[in-house]
Amino acid sequence: MLRRLVLFLILMTLATGAFSTALAQDVIELEAWVAFSDHRYDWAVDTADRFNALHDDINVTMVSVVDYDTIVNNYTLGREDGTYPEIVQLFDAALQFAVDSDWFSYAETIIDGRDEVLGHPVNFDDIIPVISNYYTVDGIWASVAWNTSTPIMYYNVELLEQAGIMELPLTWADILDACVALQPLVDDGTISACATWPFSGWFIEQWLAQQNEYMVNNENGRAGRATEFNLDTDAYRAIAQFYRDLYSNGYFIFEGQDQWGPPTQTFISGKTAIMMSSSAAARAISEGAAATGFTLETTPMAYNQDAPSGWVGNILGGATMWISNGLDQAVEDAAMAFLLFFSNTENSASWHTASGYVPVRNSSIELLKNLEPGNEILWDIPSGGRVDIEAADWYAAFPNFLTASTQLGDSTVNNATRGSTYGTFQQSRPYYNGLVEEYMLNGGDLDAMIAETNAELTELLQEYNFLFADE
Amino acid sequence: MEEIAYIVHPAVVTLAGALLGALYFAFLRWQTQVGSQRVSLIVGAIAGAIGATMLTAPLGYCMFQGDQTSEDVMVGWIMVGLGLLLTLNIGSVVLWRYFRGQRLLPRGDTTPGAFRGRFGLVYALAVLSPTILVLVYFVYLPMFDTLRFSTFLARFGAPRTRFICVSNFSRMLGDLDYHSNLFLSFALSFGIIIIAMSLALLIASMLNQPIRGANVYRTLLIWPYAISPIVAGSIFGLLLGTESGIVNRVLDLTLGVKVPWLVTVPAAQISVVLASVWNVIGFNILFYTAGLQTIPKDLLESASIDGASAWQQFARITFPLLSPFTFFLIVTNTIYAFFDTFGLIFVLTRGGPTESTFTAMYRVYVTGILASDIGKSTAQSLILFLIVVGITIFQFRVGQRRVQYGNY
Repeated sequence: MLRRLVLFLILMTLATGAFSTALAQDVIELEAWVAFSDHRYDWAVDTADRFNALHDDINVTMVSVVDYDTIVNNYTLGREDGTYPEIVQLFDAALQFAVDSDWFSYAETIIDGRDEVLGHPVNFDDIIPVISNYYTVDGIWASVAWNTSTPIMYYNVELLEQAGIMELPLTWADILDACVALQPLVDDGTISACATWPFSGWFIEQWLAQQNEYMVNNENGRAGRATEFNLDTDAYRAIAQFYRDLYSNGYFIFEGQDQWGPPTQTFISGKTAIMMSSSAAARAISEGAAATGFTLETTPMAYNQDAPSGWVGNILGGATMWISNGLDQAVEDAAMAFLLFFSNTENSASWHTASGYVPVRNSSIELLKNLEPGNEILWDIPSGGRVDIEAADWYAAFPNFLTASTQLGDSTVNNATRGSTYGTFQQSRPYYNGLVEEYMLNGGDLDAMIAETNAELTELLQEYNFLFADE
Repeated sequence: MEEIAYIVHPAVVTLAGALLGALYFAFLRWQTQVGSQRVSLIVGAIAGAIGATMLTAPLGYCMFQGDQTSEDVMVGWIMVGLGLLLTLNIGSVVLWRYFRGQRLLPRGDTTPGAFRGRFGLVYALAVLSPTILVLVYFVYLPMFDTLRFSTFLARFGAPRTRFICVSNFSRMLGDLDYHSNLFLSFALSFGIIIIAMSLALLIASMLNQPIRGANVYRTLLIWPYAISPIVAGSIFGLLLGTESGIVNRVLDLTLGVKVPWLVTVPAAQISVVLASVWNVIGFNILFYTAGLQTIPKDLLESASIDGASAWQQFARITFPLLSPFTFFLIVTNTIYAFFDTFGLIFVLTRGGPTESTFTAMYRVYVTGILASDIGKSTAQSLILFLIVVGITIFQFRVGQRRVQYGNY
């Protein structure tokens, strides 16, 4: 009797197992790697859940990976042993590598002329041109824009007013002047220094573009494959000198290369009056400023007033979503449908409120300007869900969030402001950023330092090209 | 067939090795006065020839060819030297054991016969195979790959690689940045080892006193070792930030000063050393505590009855009896300081300011993982490997003479 019961149970278990496997086979499992771990990751998970709720047969799982660099490294290693996701978020510095590696299916190829994928409209023309332009490779729309940012300035208005500064600084000279005016506040211990910001190579790239200068030859690698570095320019020298002036006068708090947390903390706790950061930090810095109790205002990224070109424009930063190649048609379509949903009008608008990333669609900006009750767009950090924006015009109520869009909108699109593309981007960043760090901290023979680093970076680039470029 | 032009011909390399080997073995023969003169000369020449060619021949003597730089040739000679070190040492030990009629391998203490019989070897291999498979797959094959990649220009994801002989190594010879990375590795490691060990010994001695709740302290003190270097780095990052760090907050409130811990020299280097010390010290305390408990109380008691001061007891009895532990800890701490601190450095300083905490192992990580430049990074990791092997051999040679393994 007992034996029969056991046998029956075993058979039942096997049967249910087989049944559930059969069911599971009908669900397409997608993994998406993103480089966020804070409330921006919560937003991504929530939005993936919304997509999953629309499709019984697709399940998207978000995976949080430390940062942009680590995502590229993990994906690269994953390709070696076959453990990589269907969707991966790659930042601008990995663009050339993404193209050269031949690991991805391009969005436009997957869409193949369709108007919609699994019910999600393509509507490519709605994407802001400067954004779609950046991620178009050889005339093909390669990856799906999601988080697009640009550096902007953040100011503590009360501190500036206390120092008698009534107009927000716009240029490097304005910042140095403001720092002179703010020095009494430093001396009496009200603040620690005039300014701080993350010491990132990204800002150097931006400042080169602003001055209409290329990082690498062949017009930043946009007119042909880049083969040489182009650091020996007045624009690059000016950046190093600006940092040197800031630091040697004690105006700038340096917290180490690529440390984003400490400078932000310092600024939002009211210990400096000036900060520069990605527009993607707008939401976090706004919350911080409100908690400390000061008025936050933003302006476009400060520029070199002495550049012969004047201000030309900024590069758009951030990352886009890429789809791994070699997937089944059904899986590829599911991934594409998800990304179209992820960056549709409502979601792009909501994502903007959650972070400060620029909305990638014109229709999103329109939506944010003409809100109606029941919109459920504002990301509420504490509850981790979407709530109504009460104002009718988001930008009128939160003008600090408009600065980034304005800056990109005003930018002239040319091969300087489209930004550089070359294979050793990630590898080179610490070099040209480190050189400026060295000069800022210790001074020295700038020309000799540039010559040495330029030669070194050119050699690395040529080695890369040898391994990757078509013969 | 096309004639290859050599700067140094392979025959010259082989002959030079053979000559050196013969001379060395002749010297040993003269020194020991054991064995046959002729046999030692012949074996010495063979060992020398093998030593000179074992590392250079697999690469086709490429480093000695006409189109190579003088640095490449120098790397070639270093490879000849390394090969000679290996074969002449092993060869001489084997030969003189033979001359003296000793067994080639010392007999172990294990009971023989367990795997005798018809299928003994098969059975032994079957039992060992899981371990061997794991070792081959996870240790030996990657090591072989490391050796192979170090002679290539290679990147992850690249459609092709390129054999570049020893360029990855010869480039390091002239790279002043790399030299300073290496020097820094030694300097920081030295600081970490000295402080971590002396402090651990002090704390372990205090723990060895009959104090209330010693077990609780012991557990708490060992805790930091359970934390990975990355997390240790994050903790110290929160503590040591210039503006937002807790340490400077306290210093500012009490003394009115702020130390830029992570962004000035030598504060950043000191910070890295202290954070590493904190991370590894629990391990040292664990072993020293265990070591102190093995020291017989009666020995110390009789010493104190004879009027030895506490310091004398420590210096003459406790410390010498701890020497096996000290020796073990020096070796493991060296390996920790050289290889495991890069995660901590990555989080804490990113090698800065101005590369002042950029150790050789951090360079391996940055080159290989961050930049996917695996050819260069495997070459760098081989250099580190050789250095640590060298240090360990040195430590064993020096250490074993002074270590006292007491039988109590």
